Amino acid sequence: MMITRKTLPRRTFLRGMGAAVGLPFLDAMVPALAFSQARLVKPPVRMAFAYVPNGIIMNDWNPDYEGKLSTFPRILKPLEPYKDDLLLLGNLTHNTGRALLDGAGDHGRCSGSYLTGIQVKKTTIDIKAGVSCDQIVARHIGDKTRFPSLEVGMEDARQAGDCDSGYSCAYTNNLAWKSDTQPLPPILDPRALFERLFGNGRVLSAEARARQSDYRRSILDFVNEDTRKLEANLGPTDKRKLEEYLSSIREVERQIDKAEKTNAQIDPHMEKPYGIPADFAEHFKLMTDMITIAFQADLTRVVTFLMTREGTSRPYRELDIADGHHPCTHHQGKPELIEKVTRINTYHVKQVAGWIGKMKSIKEGDSTLLDNSMLVYGAGLSDGNRHLHEDLPTLIAGKGGNTIKTGRRVVYRKETPMCNLHLSMMERMGVHMEHFGDATGQVNLAEIG
Amino acid sequence: MPFQFPGQGKPPIGIVFDSDLGNGIDDALALAMLYGFEGKNEARLISTSTTKSSIRAAAFCDALAKFYAGPPPQGAIAAFQRPAPPIGMADNGKMAEDTPVLKAVLEKKTPDGKPVYSTSILKLNDTADATALIRNAFTAQNDENCLVVLAGPATNLVKVLDYPGNADLIKRKVRFLVVAAGSYPDGRPDFNIKTDVAAAKRLFAEWPTPIVAAGAEVGAVLPFPGSAIEKDFAWSPDHPIADAYRAFQAMPYDAPAPAMAAMLYAVHPDGYFKLSDPGTIGVLDDGRTKFTPSPEGRHRYLVVDAAQKAKVIQTYVEMASAKPTVRAPRFRGGQKKNAVEPPKATDPPKKQ
Repeated sequence: MMITRKTLPRRTFLRGMGAAVGLPFLDAMVPALAFSQARLVKPPVRMAFAYVPNGIIMNDWNPDYEGKLSTFPRILKPLEPYKDDLLLLGNLTHNTGRALLDGAGDHGRCSGSYLTGIQVKKTTIDIKAGVSCDQIVARHIGDKTRFPSLEVGMEDARQAGDCDSGYSCAYTNNLAWKSDTQPLPPILDPRALFERLFGNGRVLSAEARARQSDYRRSILDFVNEDTRKLEANLGPTDKRKLEEYLSSIREVERQIDKAEKTNAQIDPHMEKPYGIPADFAEHFKLMTDMITIAFQADLTRVVTFLMTREGTSRPYRELDIADGHHPCTHHQGKPELIEKVTRINTYHVKQVAGWIGKMKSIKEGDSTLLDNSMLVYGAGLSDGNRHLHEDLPTLIAGKGGNTIKTGRRVVYRKETPMCNLHLSMMERMGVHMEHFGDATGQVNLAEIG
Repeated sequence: MPFQFPGQGKPPIGIVFDSDLGNGIDDALALAMLYGFEGKNEARLISTSTTKSSIRAAAFCDALAKFYAGPPPQGAIAAFQRPAPPIGMADNGKMAEDTPVLKAVLEKKTPDGKPVYSTSILKLNDTADATALIRNAFTAQNDENCLVVLAGPATNLVKVLDYPGNADLIKRKVRFLVVAAGSYPDGRPDFNIKTDVAAAKRLFAEWPTPIVAAGAEVGAVLPFPGSAIEKDFAWSPDHPIADAYRAFQAMPYDAPAPAMAAMLYAVHPDGYFKLSDPGTIGVLDDGRTKFTPSPEGRHRYLVVDAAQKAKVIQTYVEMASAKPTVRAPRFRGGQKKNAVEPPKATDPPKKQ
């Protein structure tokens, strides 16, 4: 049999001045001989952790049943359309988030230990945690993608100072830890994330960036020539896929431009990077759209996303909640405060549902991007009023490359370490670890329940 | 004396209690006695687990915990009430059969058909994995400020030893282990040992801190007086320990109580018992134990002090029948230098 097709390498980039745009998974990337067996070519598995702070109103999170997911409680309601894609987990515990003789500071501890499984050192100076599970995976498979991992956030990337009762801000403001003393600060600014994903690594000065914005052109304009050349060699399905993909990048760009212009009009002297949208939902969508593109183009397979920092007192004026999130969570059983927290929790979940929908809409052969991902949405505290570290709210969206049986609620035995979940997820990313943090073994994501 | 915030001092000794609760009666009496000591602030129960693969045994532990905790707090303070610690349970994939003790407590009904003793343990995931629970309990203690009392097979404890880092953790945290099993210096096979001989062998060989054994001979010489059941437990019309005692054997009887001896020694190592010289306890394949004296040995066994016999029995009765002491919710984190004063129920929550 003659081979007539040329195979497009998976790590092809559309290049142009200052730009390098990765590509989604295209049929043209499947070797000709394997084309008839394309269904056997598995897209990579991706892993993301989206962290939400200050606990959840658990009565409105936990369904009153186990097994097959059916009606969702109030906070999870926005996710109901995706119930077949979700695995809702109960009774996972982070013992290392508890005081364990270190006194106050549950917020600092729980976020520091969330992915490291370590009782972090109570200090504002000589910080010490452990290598987080995402970074263990990044170390093992990071060479397969342009970025070993991406760290994304939305609120506060301060690395110094006391953010909770003697715990450094490094603990509350980072999820990913490359070593026990080196956290990886999240990127908060959409423009910075965009340039990281599609730029050529050159960092523009503020002045250069401003100059550029005066005659802003799409990054796609710079890669036009490469795009045309590529399109000439693609079949109709791939062409459509590429068009959709490039449109989504263009849309992100438009949103970033819009946010920058709006912010500049509102307050040209604002402290935070001027590209960060004031609106939570808009900011969330931008960041998660870019994470999705990064997954789609296999720019990375590992993402941590700190939606807001642990202990945040961010108000939610878009919900008419002027009180800070954290003070509301210390509701002392007062119904009006519980209601506010419930609305904030539901609002967050609504954004996550949008993200899940987006991931589900992207086809990868016979499956979807969501099918080939493990998107964990969860918190380091369950009850924010009492600072409880057991039965942590945890859900996984996606089937992890057909290794996770979704559509169920599984409640493990009490005190089951959260690190057991981390071990199971690392295994699915191709990293076998005997021990991690305080794990006692892997949790079964495929069968029980 | 300078002012001291509550909680700044070292708290009373923490006790991990692991037993095959529901098989006999002396381990239930030992647990009741520990609740009594806890009420007097002489000890803290930091973990309860059953070595029986039995949800009903775990439910019995839970029912006792709820009985001794008293009614849940109401009003503003309820918002600060921490959930009751979970009950650990060994799970070998097959549930053990019910015993008369378990049935007597868990199936006792009020005239309108409701359970007399409430429990929230109905299924496997209402229980905790005993090994994680015990390990986690150790992590929350000051160094050398906890003990383990084992009144059942060593199944759970050897699993705790299996996890990396746990041997060092035990060395740091656990002063010693008290085992209610065997006969000393030698004697007949023991039920708890026989149930899991391999685990018992490993436990005596590998446990990283000293071990004190309370043998059957101590339990026989210092039994719990059955007469106390109708007298000292009568303050409550329904008492789970009294019901369990009556169900275990036809009344009247005095119950051999090695687990109570183990518990009393754990909380009060001085003043009640004598100790053997040091040596090594070995476990034979048929479930017997054999003590070999050796100056370097890290094992000892309890020896009855005839002069203290009446005092021991009196303490058994007083502590096992003590009324529950309802205490304010315990706030985590108040044990060491970073301790903070627990907020009063009326205080607004402090920013953390």
